[in-house]
Parts: sequence; structure tokens; C-alpha cells
Amino acid sequence: MNNVLEIKNLSYIYSDGFDYVLKNLSFSFEKGKVYAIKGKSGSGKTTLLSLISGLERYKEGSILFKGKELNDIDLDYYRSSNIGIVFQSFNLLPHLNAIENIILSMDISKVKSIDKYKMAIELLKSVGLDEEKGKRRILKLSGGEQQRVAIARSLSYNPEIIIADEPTGNLDKETEDEIMKILTDLAHKENKCVIIATHSNNIASKSDVIFEIKKSVKNKEKIA
Amino acid sequence: MYILKNAWISIMRNKGRNILIGIIIIVVACSSCIALSIMNAANEIVSSYDEKYDIEATITMNRQNMLSDFNKDSSSQEENIEKFNEIEELTVEDIDNYGNSEYVSSYYYTSSVSVNSKELEPATEEIQSSTNNKFRDNMGIKNERMSTGDFTLIGYSSYSAMNDFILGTYTISEGTISEDFESDTCIINSELASINDIEIGDTITVVDPDDEDVEYELTVTGFYTDNKEETESDMNSMYSQSVNTIITNTHVIDSISEKDDSLRVSIGPTFILKNSDVVDEFSSELQEKGLNEYYQVSTNLDKIESETESIKNLSSFAIVFLIVTLIIGGVVLLVLNMINVRERKYEIGVLRTIGMKKREVILQFVSELMIVAFISLIIGASVGAVLSVPVSNKLLESEINSTENQVNQIGENFGKPNMDFNIDKNDISEVSTVEKVTSINAAVNIKVLIELLCIGLGLTLFSSISAMTSISRFSPITILKERT
Repeated sequence: MNNVLEIKNLSYIYSDGFDYVLKNLSFSFEKGKVYAIKGKSGSGKTTLLSLISGLERYKEGSILFKGKELNDIDLDYYRSSNIGIVFQSFNLLPHLNAIENIILSMDISKVKSIDKYKMAIELLKSVGLDEEKGKRRILKLSGGEQQRVAIARSLSYNPEIIIADEPTGNLDKETEDEIMKILTDLAHKENKCVIIATHSNNIASKSDVIFEIKKSVKNKEKIA
Repeated sequence: MYILKNAWISIMRNKGRNILIGIIIIVVACSSCIALSIMNAANEIVSSYDEKYDIEATITMNRQNMLSDFNKDSSSQEENIEKFNEIEELTVEDIDNYGNSEYVSSYYYTSSVSVNSKELEPATEEIQSSTNNKFRDNMGIKNERMSTGDFTLIGYSSYSAMNDFILGTYTISEGTISEDFESDTCIINSELASINDIEIGDTITVVDPDDEDVEYELTVTGFYTDNKEETESDMNSMYSQSVNTIITNTHVIDSISEKDDSLRVSIGPTFILKNSDVVDEFSSELQEKGLNEYYQVSTNLDKIESETESIKNLSSFAIVFLIVTLIIGGVVLLVLNMINVRERKYEIGVLRTIGMKKREVILQFVSELMIVAFISLIIGASVGAVLSVPVSNKLLESEINSTENQVNQIGENFGKPNMDFNIDKNDISEVSTVEKVTSINAAVNIKVLIELLCIGLGLTLFSSISAMTSISRFSPITILKERT
């Protein structure tokens, strides 16, 4: 078994809510695979990713990262070092340029590198952006370019898990394919565990495993 | 380190907001710098006055007490005279007893007695030097044993007691004062010497005005000049006020009074108190030691305080100004920071999402404000340093003018525009003169800079409270959801 993340009987209800958003979910995630979590809007995909990425704490069930209960570890450190998060709305800092966004992420995760600037440029190149683009302010980049910067940022501290919440939701079909190519390459070539929340069949079709969240959760595992 | 770097980048990329914050801090820093400089300089002046001028206590007649007692039981004039005569004069033993106190650091005294002289003719017969006699005359008290002589013989116990020489009212014009305070020597006014053709080394004989047989010989060792500025009434006289005053030592006065018990000797003690806080305790102690109820302890404390009143008013104004500036500045900065944090809520959410700890985010926001505050403090302190001296002197000048106008107005009400309300001419022993504060050197010094730095730090931390509480309350996922 190469499980890097394991969810056991996870249930979640918002403090101000009446119904469970998630009920008794059990998934396992391995390195080297792309996972698609499918579901309609409001099905709880983003909530699940928030819990997996340590942005919220769960009260029922458990999430194990390399066998350790997520609630018991330092979630700030976990987010800054063990997982990379890519959002639909990119969530980059607009007053910084692309390179500075990546370097800041490295600084937060205490990456020890002699030349962080050079490392940032290499990361940008790996997602198809050059140095000139890297020096531009975030708002001067297109949506696709911003998402590539967000992916580069999430890779800056070499995490084992990449979590992407609707990463191509704001992008056209062609850019979506390019972004998916980057993410699948990360799983298959870099041996990362990539978890993508999506309602797009196109994205789901390119992933290795699909989890679909419905009222009764079904597991549609594909053959890798 | 990266937090500081990120804070600096953030400042540079959000110049408009930070310039606004900077301008407010510059204004607060400049105002605070001026206020602190004034307070600092004023405190230095007040403490220098405390150090420069001893707290001198003297024993004077409590006329109010005396008059109210004399008038209370509708006594006749003769009865009042009898009562007055019953008031015991202070003796040297009394002074020694009072001076032996834990509140007194040193003491000295002067003795004075009214005498005639065989060799000397008085400069003018109108001058009555003894304030004590004046008082008695005013009271309508006449007594045979209190005949007034032509001269006032004043004896000092030490150089310290010779206030008129210390303050420069009298200066030796020829000869010297004998260092031996038990010698039969004296110095006389140079005008008196000139009238009577007295030379240094001559001997003069003083006699009891009531008993010509009681006489005492003194050798003249020097002449003194009275430098006191003449008042309007003095202008009518061709002689100085002190022309008929012969200065000697207390030993001479004691020797003369020993020859004639009935001779009335006035003793004016001066006690140098350890500090201004012990005045009441010293007064109580003297009452306990048997000081007559018609005597009171007077000090130069009011005089010192009145001369530093303008500077104290200026200092109070500076304190109020500083407090108002800090409150207004603090509130404006607090509001600006609250708006700033709300505007940057998304940034906080992103930083928290990518793993920055709450305390690091708080540190970055506080660092940004600190950097802006520090730069603004330097600019504000520089401007304040340039302005503090002229502004403080202008304020002091206006304060002095205001005080003088008040005094002149009261004087005009009495028909005397230049009336001095602080000096009671009838005091038996007048306390030393205190120099008036007319200028202030409110230059910025290290102390002011340190105080300013502390204020800047405090103000920055106070205005960061909103940022700290908001950041610690924000949940990153909530912020990002709101954004989405």
C-alpha cells in the first residue's frame, strides 16, 4: 500500500447547519495517482477538500496523513509543507508578481535554497511560463497564466499531495487541457498524489480514480 | 526575516495608504516632540530652581492672628500694648533649639537693634530702618523702653546669613568684612562714611538710645554700597535706604544686650530646610517646641513657585496638548488600521491558506506599521526639533505677557501699575529674591527622543490592536469563500 492520505467514516456538519454535508466518507489516496472528486454544486466537494487540506477541523471520523491523525498535527505546517493547494480563483497575492508569490510560499515553508529566485523561475518554466511573465504583477496575467502560477507556487516546497479545487473552472477548454496535463504529469512523473474536486467530465476522464459524492456516496474507481 | 522583507514589499506596493498613515504619524510625532521638549525643558528649569534656591524658612509675626486676638475681646489700647509686650522675643537659645531639627540642614540668624552713635550723625532723620518699629508705630504702640535710635545695628551670625551681599544688594566698596564673627568690628554705608568723614580703621561708639551710659566701641573695617533699585518714594531722598544701617556680627549685639537687659533685640532666623515637603512638619515641630502663637513660619516656597508659574503653566499646556494629540492620533490610526485590515482580508486569507501562522501574519502587519511609524517618527522628530525652540519661546512669551498683564491690571486697580505683590516689605526677615523665568531652551535631546520612540511604539501597538484581533479571529476558508 502506498496510501499517503486516508479518510475513514468522515462526517461533517457546519456549526450553523442542520444537515450533514458529508456523511460517513471513506477514501484512500495513493501517491502517483490523480483523483477526481465529482459531485454537483453543494454536494460537499469543497468542504471535503477544506478538511483534507487542513483548512478546517473535523469532528466525526478521521483523516490520516501518513498514518497520523490530521487534527493532531500542526495544520499551518501541514499546509505550508505537505500539501499544495490550487484554487479555482487562484488565490494569489495581487500586490506581488508571480515570482514573488512563489518565493513567499517558499519562505513560509522555510525552504532552504541558495537561490530561490532561480528556483521560482524553473518552477514557472515547468508550468509553461517564462521569466518575463514571472516578473509581471498577478493582475497583468491571464486566468490560465495565473492558475499556472498557483500550481507553480503549490510545487515550490515539493509537497506530496496537490489538492485542486475546480482548477479549471474559470478557464477555457484548451487551457483546461494544458492545466490537466501539468497535474497528471505531476502525479505520473513526479509521483505526487493529485486530488481534484470537479464537476467536469473532461477532467474526471483524465484522472485515474473518480470519487463521486452523492447523497449515497459511490466509488467509481478506474483502472490506472 | 522574510516577514520584514514581505512587509517592506507590501509598504512599497501600497504607497497611498502608507503615505496617509505616515502623514498622521508625522503630525503626531512633530506635535509630541514639541510638547515633550517643552515639558522636559520646563521640568529641568523647575528642578534647577529647586536645586538653585534653598527652601528658606523664617519666623515672622503672625499679624492676622495677633490683630484678630487683640480685637476679639474689645481690649483697650493699653491692654493691647500690655499683651504685645508680653509676647516674648526670639532668643538665640530659641533659634538653636529650633535649628536642631531633622528637617533643617543648616541655619543662621541676624540680630538687629536700634542705637545712637557718639561720633556719627545720621544721614537723614526720617529714615526708620527697623521694620519692627514701623509695625509698632502702625499699631499705635508707644513704649518708653522702645525709643528709636538713629541707626540700626544689624549683626550676622555667618557669611551665609548675609543675604544682601550674597544677592548683590550690598557690595563692599572699600575695605573688608572681618572674617572673625566675634570681633568688635563693623562696616558702614559709604554715604554715611562720607558724611561723617570716617576712615577705615576708625572707631565708632554706639549707645543705647534710652541709656547713654551703655556704649560699645566698634572698629570700622569697610564701607558698603547699597545697589538696591530705587523706588519712586526713595527718589525723594538723596540717600539710599540703608544709609543708617551699621553692619556687624551677632556677637556684638549679644554683648550690647548683655550690658542692658531692657534693650529690645530683634532676631531674624533663617532655617535651610532639607526639602519643600517638610515645611508643614517643621512648622508643627516649632509649635511643639513652644513657638508663640503670634509667630509663624514663612518660607520662600511661594516665591519660588510664583517665579516658575509661567513655565509650569507652559508645561501643563504641553501635557494637555500631548494627551489630546495622542488620543486623536491614536483613534485616527486605529480607524485607518481597521479599514486597512478589512481591505486586506483576502490577503490574510491567502497567507493563512498557504501555511503562514497567525502570529506571523500579525507580525507582518505590525512590522509594516512599525516601519512606516519609524520613518515618520524620524521625519516628525526632525521637524519637531527645528520648531520646538521657537514655538516654546513664543508660547512662554505669550504666557509671561498674559501673567504680567494680569498683574499690571491689578496694579492699575490700586493706582500702582508696577506694584510687586510678591514681596511683603514689612516682613521682619525677608526671604531671598528668586530669579524670574523668562526663556526656555526646549531643544530636543536624547531623553525626548527616547520618550518619542516609546510613544511611537505605544501608538503603533495600540493602533495595531484591530489588526491583531481581526487576524486572530479570521478563518482563512471563510475569507476565501466570501471572496469566491
